[in-house]
Amino acid sequence: MSLEKKDDHDHGGWMKTKDLTPIEKGFLTTLIYLDKRLRIVDYLEIMENLYYKVNLQMPKSHTEQYNLDNKFWYWYPLYTLGLFSTLAYGVAAISGAILGFYYSPSTAAGACASEISGATVSYCSIAFIMRDLQFGFMLRSVHRWSAQVMVAAVFLHMLRVYFTGSYKEPRELNWILGIVLISLTMVFGYTGYLLPWDQLAFWAGQIGVEMSLSIPLAGEWVAQLLFGGFTLSQSTLMRMYIIHVFLLPFVVTTLIAIHIGIVWMQGIAEPH
Amino acid sequence: MTDQDTTTDTPNRRLVTDGGTDADEEAQPDGGEDVQADGSGIVAPDDETPTWRERKERKVGLSRLTYEYFERARREDQDLRQESTYVERDVLAFPTWPHETVRNLSIAAMFVGMILFLSATLPPHIGNPANPSSTPAVILPDWYLYWSFGLLKLNPLNPELAILGGSKLMADRTYGVLANVVVVGFVAIVPFLNKGSARRPVEQPFWAAVGVFGVVFAFTISALSVKNLIPMNVDLLFDLTFLLPVVAGVITYAVLKTMREGYMYDLNRRYYRLRPPK
Repeated sequence: MSLEKKDDHDHGGWMKTKDLTPIEKGFLTTLIYLDKRLRIVDYLEIMENLYYKVNLQMPKSHTEQYNLDNKFWYWYPLYTLGLFSTLAYGVAAISGAILGFYYSPSTAAGACASEISGATVSYCSIAFIMRDLQFGFMLRSVHRWSAQVMVAAVFLHMLRVYFTGSYKEPRELNWILGIVLISLTMVFGYTGYLLPWDQLAFWAGQIGVEMSLSIPLAGEWVAQLLFGGFTLSQSTLMRMYIIHVFLLPFVVTTLIAIHIGIVWMQGIAEPH
Repeated sequence: MTDQDTTTDTPNRRLVTDGGTDADEEAQPDGGEDVQADGSGIVAPDDETPTWRERKERKVGLSRLTYEYFERARREDQDLRQESTYVERDVLAFPTWPHETVRNLSIAAMFVGMILFLSATLPPHIGNPANPSSTPAVILPDWYLYWSFGLLKLNPLNPELAILGGSKLMADRTYGVLANVVVVGFVAIVPFLNKGSARRPVEQPFWAAVGVFGVVFAFTISALSVKNLIPMNVDLLFDLTFLLPVVAGVITYAVLKTMREGYMYDLNRRYYRLRPPK
């Protein structure tokens, strides 16, 4: 087999036979260059396929078909609670990332322990954010409130879905995914609540350890895994921190994307 | 495979270029030529080469079944779409730009503004640093976990079994954790308990009553979790925790049942006339 190119594959020659504008020529040259190295065309085919699949939606909804909009317009505000919680999640992610620049999870005695007795490094970093950092007080406030708003919106979203019967066939699996998401949202809240390592955080953590210890058979193992022991310590705080800023963001973001993707494909269920 | 004969006629043919049916391959030994392992015998696929779909069609077993099902499902979907009088959203819809996008952006701006307003006006407080040696008088999780915290305080409901000599089967705290699992589990299986096409509460007074029971119970169990902060007899609070939701559920059921007749008349007229029951 010779290495010489056959005419079919002489893309340069093929381009010369055509009357191309500079833009077209540039585009084709780039495409051919990349395709030779990365097999772009194969992936373009997959993308094309995906494009058509993504654009598939269920047929017109009952409301649209029979012009029932005027019959239930008063439900509409409740249909935006899902968007609201997603937005709050976004705000929490951004403010949380900025908070993360200044926070350090450690139960060692902090620099501010001289003024506040018993203050740990993590407590002092919160104190620094709230007292010394420009806009730090607002930043923490935004993070906390967006978390509260997200949980509240998620609860109300669930109630809306329940009372409009939107969980029924074919949407059962998305309902279960929603249950998982609401639980993870609360775990998000709980782990975040523990990070300042103040009195409330410590004793809420204590309740958490006792709850996991009370699980039959696996209790001690769960307590070790989640809280790093049977009493609260540095490893507890570290685990809560990693769960809050590393594990949950990946998992929850992915699940939210799937949740919304399914809604997109199945369409929104209105009451009849 | 119409011109298969012409290819088999060629005497010095080195390869079966059409991908070959079984009969074809039996009739075509490789002509006694040496087998070349350097790839020089490979030729590009031509029109006779079976496509991947054709190759798939020849498979057996599970993959064959899967393929057949996909074909059937695709055909069914297509038939349904062709029969239906529905209009696909792709064709007829509210334009994404600018209508939908502008509306979404304004809603998003308003919501984010609300969050910023809340955080500016009601900034959070931070308590004293953690101190393992002094238990605070009030231990509470965040408000959205009150219901779960309340479920941990159901000790009086943990049954004492006579056969165990009046001792409890489960520790009280195990019972509390189990109560959480039961509540979340029940909510998760709702779609498998309540089926059918009914959507509005008035169409299904019972399930609406269950929902109202759940909502009121979430509030009362939250109140129970902060019982030391509520100026009320604790036993009375405990009883009310379970009584109020039931009362609210019964009232909901009665109201919806009463509304139902007149309401369903309207709904039925509109709904069943357009979508006759199968």
